[in-house]
Amino acid sequence: MPEAMSWTEFAIVGISCAITILLCRTVPLFALRGRELPSWLSRALTFIPPAAFAALIANDILSPGMFDAGLWPGALPIVAACIVIPVALKTKSLVFCIVAGVGSYGLLMLI
Amino acid sequence: MNNSQSIKEAFKLALPIMIGYIFLGVPCGLLCQQAGMDALQVFLLSALFYSGAGQYMIPNMWLAGSPLSAIIASVTLVNSRQLLYGASLSRFCSNTKKSLSFLYGATVTDESFAVNLAKFELGNWSVKAATMVNLFSQSCWALANVLGVILGSLLTVPTALASFAMTSIFLCLLFSQKGTLSNIAAAGFAVIGVFVCKLIGLTGPAILIGALVGVAAGMVVAALKGESHA
Repeated sequence: MPEAMSWTEFAIVGISCAITILLCRTVPLFALRGRELPSWLSRALTFIPPAAFAALIANDILSPGMFDAGLWPGALPIVAACIVIPVALKTKSLVFCIVAGVGSYGLLMLI
Repeated sequence: MNNSQSIKEAFKLALPIMIGYIFLGVPCGLLCQQAGMDALQVFLLSALFYSGAGQYMIPNMWLAGSPLSAIIASVTLVNSRQLLYGASLSRFCSNTKKSLSFLYGATVTDESFAVNLAKFELGNWSVKAATMVNLFSQSCWALANVLGVILGSLLTVPTALASFAMTSIFLCLLFSQKGTLSNIAAAGFAVIGVFVCKLIGLTGPAILIGALVGVAAGMVVAALKGESHA
């Protein structure tokens, strides 16, 4: 068990991470703001939501070593995700999806 | 919209995100406490850094004995996907004051990006109202994190279960997109991109690279099909 993080170490990590994420969040926003974008770029921007959310989901539930601890621990999140999908399509409600997702994940953990 | 109306609208839009952030924030605070952070530090991190994935990674990597430089580099790589959100949102900030645009951009997260983008595209949505959505979400995130520290050793929450709240939000956001062939290609190739990245050891930038692969695939399919996205 490593020692508790000191204030100095906390400050180094916290400030560095805060600066890099701030740059990622604001530099493109100000670089492209108020400009007429070429049409290929505006078309590319429309694909960011589907691509980014699919990437985030894949990052959460898929990994090369996911079945190392057996079939079920790796399959559980995928099964829970399959339960959320029809809820998402039908209700488009974030709250219902959280309830369906966390609820089914919790129940599946009991199996 | 007048002020009180837009505050109400913003709160309504932020509420589901806030619920998700409570699920996710309490265990995050617990984990930070285990790494030796106190309530003030956890609050500062939520106020200045404000990144769900990042705030999980810092204590996790610390507890695993990673050097500070590795923690900073990994967190930065994972958060590089924010570049895409900034690029996507820039077109709505053209007529907004610089200071407000900055505050808005600085407080964007995966979830608030999506709900605000959908509102912007419908029209009748301001950067000011969108910033309120961000700040409501951030306040809830910070409070949940601090609560996690305070509850400390009283509670054990399985983090996998809690973090599935966020996965559920992403699923909802993905399946609320239009089901065009090019969108489906974008999503499918993003999934493949992430998996391949992980397979070859590029775990940090997997989300960004996967998303870029997806965007490229969507554009290729749109060009082949002659789909218009105007």
